[in-house]
Amino acid sequence: MNKDRRKPKKYTFYLGITILLLVITIIMGVFAFTIYLGRYTQKSNPNRYGRYYIMIAENNSASFWKSVYMGAYEEGLLQDSYVDFLNDTFGGSYSKEDMMRIAIASEVDGIIVAADESDEMTELINEAAEAEIPVVTLYGDNTQSNRCTFVGIGSYDLGREYGRQVLEIMRKKQLPRAQVQVTPLYDEDGVRLMWTEKMIQRPVKVTVLMSAHTQDSGQNILCSGIQETIENEKQENVEIELSLVTIDDTNTFSVEESIRDIFMEEDLPDIIVCLNELNTTCAYQAVVDYNKVGQVNILGYYDSDTILKAIDRNVIYATAKVDAAQMGKYCVEALTEYHSFGNTSQYFMADIELINKDNIAEYLDGGAKSE
Amino acid sequence: MNKKLKALSDMSLQGKISSIYIMANLFVCLVNVLLILGINRMSGEMEMVYRDNLNLNELSESLDTVQNSMTDYLNAKTSDSLEEYYRSSQNYMQLVEGLEDEISGGSYERMKRNIKHMSGQYLEIADQTIDAKRGRNVEKYRTRYENATQLYDYINTYIYSLNNQQFKNNSENYTKLSQAFRLFETVGIAVIIAVIVANVCIITKLVGAIISPLKALAKSADEVANGNFEVELLEVQTRDEIGVVGRAFNQMVVSIREYIERIRHSMEVERAMQEKELLMESHLKDAQLKYLQAQINPHFLFNTLNAGAQLAMLEGADRTYRYVQNMAEFFRYNVKKGDATVTIGEEIELVDNYIYILNVRFSGDIHYEKNVDKSFLQVEMPSMILQPIVENCVNHGIREMAGKGRIWLNVYRIDDTVCISVRDNGIGMDKETIDKVLAGTYREEEHAEGSNGIGMDNVIARLKLFTEYEDVMSIISEGKNLGTEFIIYLQMREREDDDV
Repeated sequence: MNKDRRKPKKYTFYLGITILLLVITIIMGVFAFTIYLGRYTQKSNPNRYGRYYIMIAENNSASFWKSVYMGAYEEGLLQDSYVDFLNDTFGGSYSKEDMMRIAIASEVDGIIVAADESDEMTELINEAAEAEIPVVTLYGDNTQSNRCTFVGIGSYDLGREYGRQVLEIMRKKQLPRAQVQVTPLYDEDGVRLMWTEKMIQRPVKVTVLMSAHTQDSGQNILCSGIQETIENEKQENVEIELSLVTIDDTNTFSVEESIRDIFMEEDLPDIIVCLNELNTTCAYQAVVDYNKVGQVNILGYYDSDTILKAIDRNVIYATAKVDAAQMGKYCVEALTEYHSFGNTSQYFMADIELINKDNIAEYLDGGAKSE
Repeated sequence: MNKKLKALSDMSLQGKISSIYIMANLFVCLVNVLLILGINRMSGEMEMVYRDNLNLNELSESLDTVQNSMTDYLNAKTSDSLEEYYRSSQNYMQLVEGLEDEISGGSYERMKRNIKHMSGQYLEIADQTIDAKRGRNVEKYRTRYENATQLYDYINTYIYSLNNQQFKNNSENYTKLSQAFRLFETVGIAVIIAVIVANVCIITKLVGAIISPLKALAKSADEVANGNFEVELLEVQTRDEIGVVGRAFNQMVVSIREYIERIRHSMEVERAMQEKELLMESHLKDAQLKYLQAQINPHFLFNTLNAGAQLAMLEGADRTYRYVQNMAEFFRYNVKKGDATVTIGEEIELVDNYIYILNVRFSGDIHYEKNVDKSFLQVEMPSMILQPIVENCVNHGIREMAGKGRIWLNVYRIDDTVCISVRDNGIGMDKETIDKVLAGTYREEEHAEGSNGIGMDNVIARLKLFTEYEDVMSIISEGKNLGTEFIIYLQMREREDDDV
């Protein structure tokens, strides 16, 4: 019986295999194709959010602002809000004021802006407030406007900290240095008789790089903080010459040129205090390029990788680390609060930390950072 | 399931082969259709890649038209430009309405949302500008125009930026898609090749499976053609044409075997019958011989003669005694040898007795001479042959010759044949009678006096049966009163010694 069955089975066996192959091919083909094509036609994140905020920062695309934005963005996601970074969208082609107008015209639910004390900004903030868009000023305030809150750093405290650092540098580097002053001695007829040598003490030159926006109250407060600290805490016989150099940051790329101008002068400052990340980076590069490491000391701002490395290499003496993400977070919190209760606190202050050679190891690599 | 399988295997050959080809073609066709569908879908996707860009371009152009028509109207205040403005702003509004208004995680959606809101404001301001122009409020429409233009710039930049980003993204997608397309092409070709190869394999296997019984059939047929009918019968499972032919072949082989068997059997029967026939013939011959011998029954005569001879001897009649003794010898020969083969010598002895008796009876009228080579005395021959011939000679040849009758007996040899010649000098025989005698049709009217009853026909018949010669006797007669010579021919067959 078995033997009898064998041959028809052979035929049907092959027929069965054919059909099986057919079905497998079709199923596999459709499956593979769908998956394969699906990879290319994936739609973007379909998440929807309740509120839409726009953040406008200074146009220098420093990592500081990125950090602030990331803080705001992450907090926004938690609060069912989406925070857009308008500088990213337009990539420097518009001024803050233009972007403010765009934000107002876009009828967003809130604006976070790195404001200044200019009238135009005041006007725009008021315009936004009229259109019932709450405005949070970030880092730089506009006190006269109807902004709902200001998120920034304690400028006076930061100034005091900078002041203390200036004094520490003077102590450590034994500034001011003694200088031999050689002057010629002439007789009555104007004939030079001899050279006289005199040991004099040159005053310690401290230069604070200021933004061109003179109305920025923050940096003025900061400067007075430095000034007061130095005046109060310096040794009596030491002369400190504090100069405020305005850096032209109205145009793109002008900052770097302005900082290099300082180094072109004969009389170099002993200490340069930078109040933002870009200035710090530019000053650091200039010191290296002009071979003034050790001679010019930099007090920086923010903790970008470049700056941290520079501290490690003793080019930058110390830097103020502002908790940028915290600032962004405060902004969104303030806006959410405003939408919920119609009001919010007037000020939010972000934490400041000082990074120098002593604690640089904690920040240098990711592993240490996470610990 | 089994039923279905059975139905499959019972399909006709055409059905099977057709189904295989249909299946194979269907397979290739299906794969092709799938590939084509895939290609279609991919090319559709590729066309869709830049659709968003096209839409944005349309939006941008529409916005330009609105701005230009507004500017035209502000410049010249023509009704054409106003109409154009309304039409284009209507169109632009419709386009903008189509944009999403969702705060989405996707940047494109958010940008579209912003463009939508800004466009709403822009159109509002533009309307206000047109209204101010109509009211000839120069200061107002100038300011509003500036505002509108500023917004127009922003929107344009936004659209441009979005367009750029999308284009960049789409280009990436396009590159990926076209790479995928290439890959798909390659895979498609590979799939088709694989399918074709698989098809070829499967078709070969399937056709082989269908054809294999045909091969077995051909092999068997070849063997049968070469004469081997003892081939193993084919296993036939299918009901297709091959199955039919296979069954027919098996039937044919079986039939041929049966036929061969039948023919063989009938041949054997025939042979047996022939044997039987031959046996019967010999039996018949035997019977005939016995029958013919039985015609002469001299028992009684012999016994009585014997008694007579004893009586003659008691009475002292010596000649009578001898005569009766010869008579008794003569008849005893008949009793003793009547059913057996004898030798020529015995037969001649009988003739001697007979002549003695006749000579007593006819007072020595018959002159008898014999010339016999003794070496032939042992040659076998049937009994009671010579005596009837001699009797015939006496009766028809010499009885009336009154003492002048003579009889000669000669035995001689020609080649392997022993010839016994009995000649008389009697009245002779005419040709007609000779023929009749030789043909066995001659009948004597009555048994002649002193005859022992054995006719010439009996003699000739018995000689023929014994010798199996056709010509066993010849009769020679020169003419009337010139005598007759009977010659009989015998095979040179000598008696074995123990029989003597």
